[in-house]
Amino acid sequence: MALFPSEEWITLYRDLINGSEEYREAGRTWEGDIAFVFEAEPDRGVAEDLVAWLDLRNGICHDARMIEAEQGARAEYEIRAPYSRWREVVLGDLDPVKGMMQGKLKVRGDLPNIVRHVRAANELVHLTTQVPTEFIGAG
Amino acid sequence: MRAVVYRDVGRVEVCEVPDPEIVEPADAIVRVGIAAICGSDLHFFHGKAPLEPGETIGHEAVGVVEAVGPEVRRVAPGDRVVVSFVIACGDCWFCLNGQTQLCEDFRNLGAGIFGGSLGGAQAELVRVPVADVNLLRVPDEVQDERALFVGDILTTGVYAAGVAGISPGDTVAVVGAGPVGFFAIQAARAGGAGEVLALDLEPERLVLAERVGAVPIDVRARNAQTAVDERTGGRGADVVIDAVGSAPAFERALDVVRRGGTVVVVGMYTSEVIPAQIGVWWTRAITVRFAGICPVHAWWERAIDAVRTGEIDPAPLVSHRLPLEDAALGYELFDTRRATKVLLRP
Repeated sequence: MALFPSEEWITLYRDLINGSEEYREAGRTWEGDIAFVFEAEPDRGVAEDLVAWLDLRNGICHDARMIEAEQGARAEYEIRAPYSRWREVVLGDLDPVKGMMQGKLKVRGDLPNIVRHVRAANELVHLTTQVPTEFIGAG
Repeated sequence: MRAVVYRDVGRVEVCEVPDPEIVEPADAIVRVGIAAICGSDLHFFHGKAPLEPGETIGHEAVGVVEAVGPEVRRVAPGDRVVVSFVIACGDCWFCLNGQTQLCEDFRNLGAGIFGGSLGGAQAELVRVPVADVNLLRVPDEVQDERALFVGDILTTGVYAAGVAGISPGDTVAVVGAGPVGFFAIQAARAGGAGEVLALDLEPERLVLAERVGAVPIDVRARNAQTAVDERTGGRGADVVIDAVGSAPAFERALDVVRRGGTVVVVGMYTSEVIPAQIGVWWTRAITVRFAGICPVHAWWERAIDAVRTGEIDPAPLVSHRLPLEDAALGYELFDTRRATKVLLRP
């Protein structure tokens, strides 16, 4: 089990992405790095914002790691939400594209481009559910 | 007379200045019973708004009419009155349509050249132009201290809740439980809100908010969006009132409002910039109502009535009562947030 998010989790996730034929095809025209910001929820054990970063280009995840918040601000895309909202995404309880349109996940960057790549986004979400995951403050 | 004057950035003092006089026939001179230090006075105190050394300051006051010009009809010497912080002409299209904050001749007391170079109300006497418009007689049963805020922050809170279109049972989130938020909470409750959530990071403010019936949410300890979702079945608040006036506060308001909900922006903005996903706002069908400065005159009669009936209680907000001579201490206490509201008595 890997703690979500952590270096271990993000590495497992990267490997799943790169092993996915579906993502390779759906993300073929995607170019841009993405910072996922897991906003602090101090009362639930997430003391400060955590940021995971994926360098996704042409259907391949070239790099993936946890980064500092200020580095995340330089990413081409940033998607942020409270940690527990991300938990809903990983558990498959929240469709991320719907979540973005409803303001539950906040996007910085070209939202229409994300929507155009909805198949890739869905596969990315599907792959999160394949990582053996343990959540912070999970009960 | 004695008055608080601006000396330099971070420094006010009380000194002798000339008594104000009737300049225009619609003027009144008010002997100030109590004045208050307002958050917007701090803009001048910090040098963020222009005030020349030696200029008087302040705009929240209650007192007794001392003299009136020949055109004044609605108030007379001896009347107990509260002063509007917006000094309006009462005669332009905007004033005649209840939008006195948009008056063609908009002025403020104690705001230097920015407010039309009128004297300040933190003084023994203050000149109030167009007295028939800018003074409200205080009902006998409402004491000075309870009436004071009707000229500014209390009515601003009533206005914010009033324009929000609160339906019975609505959940209202107030972002910022400072003085305006404190009154917006009470006005929202009086306006039929089911639950009022107060979002702030200052424990003292949250205690005050809870005292007047809000559910306190400490945004340093909790994620605001998650906390509001928990109390609204995951939807978000029906109405959100931004009573702060900062980019993070505005974004927080957008985070916690439900789809189809309303955000009322009553906190003061100047040059803030945020990136906006207009398509997301559009899809969420959010109403954002920039309330601007409160048109006090259109709302203060219902505000003072709410004070008279006890629907709104200003008392818990007042932390310090000082003689006018201690104004410098009052500014220091308020500026460092050791005071929630400071009253000055000449």
